[in-house]
Amino acid sequence: MTVALARERWAGQVAEMTIGKGSGAVSIGGEKTLPFLHFEGEMPNKPAAALELWDVEPVEWPEVLKRHFHGVLGDAVAWAKRCAGYGADLICLRLASAHPDYKDASPGEAAATAASVAEATELPLIVVGCGVEEKDALILPAVSRALAGRNALIGCATANNYKTVCEACLADGHGVIASTPLDINLAKQLNIMMNETGLPPNRIVIDPLVGSLGYGLEYAYSIIERTRLSALSGDRMLAMPVVCFVGYETWKTRESRAEDSEEWGPQEKRAVLWEAVTAASLAQAGGSLFVMYHPESLVQFKKHIDCLMETDQF
Amino acid sequence: MPDFLVRFFPGEKQAGASVDESLYQVFIKTGLPVDASCGGKGNCGRCKIKIREGKVKSLKQGTLTDEEVERGYVLACQSFPRSDLVVEVAEALIAGGIDRAAEDMISEECLSDENLWESSDNAGLFEGNALTPLYVKFYLELPKPDENDAEDDLGRLERGVCKKTGVCRLTTNLDVIRSLPATLRSADWKVTVSMSEIENNFEITGVEPGRTERKYYGIAVDVGTTTVVVHLVDLESGETAGVKGAYNGQSVFGDDVISRIVYAGDSPRGLESLRNAVAGTINSLVEELVKETKIEAEDIKAAVCAGNTTMTHLLLGVDPANIRLEPYTPAANRFPAIKAEEAGLKIFPGSPVLCLPGVASYVGGDTTAGVLFTGMAFSDRLTLFIDVGTNGEMVLGNKDWLVSCACSAGPAFEGVGLKYGMRAMNGAIDHISIGGCGSGVSYTTIGSVPPLGICGSGLIDCIASMRKAGIIDRNGNFTKGCNTFRIRDSGEGKEFVLVGTGEAGCGSDITISEPEVKNLMRSKAAVFAGIRCILKMVGVSFADIDRVIIAGGFGRNIRIKDAVSIGLLPDIPLEKYKYVGNSAVKGAKTVLLHRQAREWIDDIAGRITYIELSTGNDFMEEFISALFIPHTDLNLFPSVRGG
Repeated sequence: MTVALARERWAGQVAEMTIGKGSGAVSIGGEKTLPFLHFEGEMPNKPAAALELWDVEPVEWPEVLKRHFHGVLGDAVAWAKRCAGYGADLICLRLASAHPDYKDASPGEAAATAASVAEATELPLIVVGCGVEEKDALILPAVSRALAGRNALIGCATANNYKTVCEACLADGHGVIASTPLDINLAKQLNIMMNETGLPPNRIVIDPLVGSLGYGLEYAYSIIERTRLSALSGDRMLAMPVVCFVGYETWKTRESRAEDSEEWGPQEKRAVLWEAVTAASLAQAGGSLFVMYHPESLVQFKKHIDCLMETDQF
Repeated sequence: MPDFLVRFFPGEKQAGASVDESLYQVFIKTGLPVDASCGGKGNCGRCKIKIREGKVKSLKQGTLTDEEVERGYVLACQSFPRSDLVVEVAEALIAGGIDRAAEDMISEECLSDENLWESSDNAGLFEGNALTPLYVKFYLELPKPDENDAEDDLGRLERGVCKKTGVCRLTTNLDVIRSLPATLRSADWKVTVSMSEIENNFEITGVEPGRTERKYYGIAVDVGTTTVVVHLVDLESGETAGVKGAYNGQSVFGDDVISRIVYAGDSPRGLESLRNAVAGTINSLVEELVKETKIEAEDIKAAVCAGNTTMTHLLLGVDPANIRLEPYTPAANRFPAIKAEEAGLKIFPGSPVLCLPGVASYVGGDTTAGVLFTGMAFSDRLTLFIDVGTNGEMVLGNKDWLVSCACSAGPAFEGVGLKYGMRAMNGAIDHISIGGCGSGVSYTTIGSVPPLGICGSGLIDCIASMRKAGIIDRNGNFTKGCNTFRIRDSGEGKEFVLVGTGEAGCGSDITISEPEVKNLMRSKAAVFAGIRCILKMVGVSFADIDRVIIAGGFGRNIRIKDAVSIGLLPDIPLEKYKYVGNSAVKGAKTVLLHRQAREWIDDIAGRITYIELSTGNDFMEEFISALFIPHTDLNLFPSVRGG
């Protein structure tokens, strides 16, 4: 007896975009169904995983994380090479030094760092600013110019600085990350406004500001899922791929930071699991690009994704 | 006994003031339209005046600059007289601003726009009906008693009334009975009878000898949170003999219903002061009307008041505390009619005073009056009625069903809370257009006088044209692209100069700031989200709506097209829109004049289903998606997509 599977027919699809140039370029998005439902529709690209590096030593990182980057912390170029060795699909450079409370690095310094990292690796680049909207509006255009032609992904643009960021990235041929606080309407509004600066939808990535497991994961999950459902229903202004800064969120949590203990077990295993499970959950929600911290989480996550990408034709 | 005399310059107005009375209170008393969006707490700086002569004690400098203080400016709400004073206020304010405010809310005769209300729009609901006012006088000739007909005098009178009016179940009072035998006989059984109606009881309230020609009147009152409007109505002809409007005297105690409710509960004798303040406002308007039309206050024999639920509570001295607290329960939605003396109204003491029934805490008698007046409750056509005031109330339905909701739109479109916002009165910019990147600004003002500020319709224009000109983005943020002297830093964010000091009638630039644009965005988003929620709740789409009736304080010059282009009103064919103006007072007048309307209004209040928007996530979700020009879902606004 044959069972007829119920298949949803969707009118729309997620926008497909490519980051980087040449053989190392990574494509994300493009799916015509909800994640991993291969029997229902095409999912041409698997979720990609990046490792994040900073342009200064991240003093807050716990030792179990830092030790994998021993000798390269504070040296973005060497760090980038190390990340490539760990099997990252992309590299995400966080320009933390530009933070006014930190080193307040100038746009020129930020651009120089980005350029030297780009020089050192063939992998596609994501570059994010320091998170202060006004400062990012100054440094990101300089970064954009320095990376012109590399087809990088630059962020994060917000409702308050998107114009400057988009205009620069449009001219230099990059994609832009649009960051809004966990609200599907706000995400769409920013996408519309960014699109109106001339940036095509397939050069925008949505950052919905995810939460880690135990810290609002379900909010992020439902926002991402709703975003995907809107895209598949034909809303082009919510059809962009979604990026999840998983490492940044999970390594703040108590579960990742608490040292080895009898009750909670060894820290590193626990933290890696925390990061990988958060990423895997958000991949089920519809995330396309995952920025992680720990090399082992990256490996575990990629293994998991490879399994999920196997066909489930019945 | 006032301690000092305050004269206002320019002009003739003057008023007595006591030593503990702020100049702002003196303004209100005098009927000068000074806005204080902070409610007289010295925070908003709107009541800036110049002391030309005399001494005041000022408690607080507030927003005034040192230079202004040096030049003699003070905040009226923070200043108390210490001698006789001469106070300088903007000329256009004196020049009949308040009369204009009233005029703006009246009749539709002078209006031509196709979107304006025509009497045929409510299918001539009461047209041609004989008047059956709340109070009526009529002449009767009674048959004299004889041996075959020895009925008692009262019975004879009642029989006559029954025959004349069809009203046969009558009551009366002892005073009438006491004077009846003598009056009837001395007048040779030819008398004029006064009859008033309270809650379906018809009472003979007076019998006068012969035929009296003396006219008698009623008042229809819109008791608004910010503005009170009184129509003096000739009850014989049904004509409006005069209209006056003034700011609600309660505004010194707070700008919105919430702050009034708080004041009523927290301050000693708070409820009493609020009650006296609003009654005082109505009385001073009545006094002006009486003077102007040369009648006596005693000739006003009935009153009908339409107010929101809180205003009705306060007018009747009922504690409104629970209106503010979850789950938002008013003491009553329906109030018994009372006598004027009990209501504190200075008209004929025995006059019935009727407060129109409401639906819920935030949908009151002003809304039911609007529903009655528009005739939507008896129409086949699916009508959306929107009354935009401090609270946006809306009612959707037809003759078969009616649902309503209220959303807190904030008073921004009434000009409150904006540095140069004002109500639709003389000197208000009612239309404005702005060239690309602010290259040129042209505007018109009400009364064609130098501008003092900008009213609701002007603000709608302003947002629409700032967006078109590329000055603001879809979020209401000022964009960086425009280099013009008109965009500058105010110290509290960016602002756009609408009118330079030279042209303005208020002695300074007229500006609109980024936070003010955002404030207006929130107001428009709340209104639109309310509309979406109520439609969603009953499963109706925009296309199903046959007409949209707009009431309220924008000013009658509202450009529907611009209101649609900023996403305040739904994008449906413009010819479906009607602007009805102050439907609360028009509804109150209808009730005053027609018995049928008095029955219907109770019926309407009972038929409206209230939907509470604060429960559930729908409203918030809709609100956020409406915080965009025109809307996050651009498909809802096909006609403005390109903009």
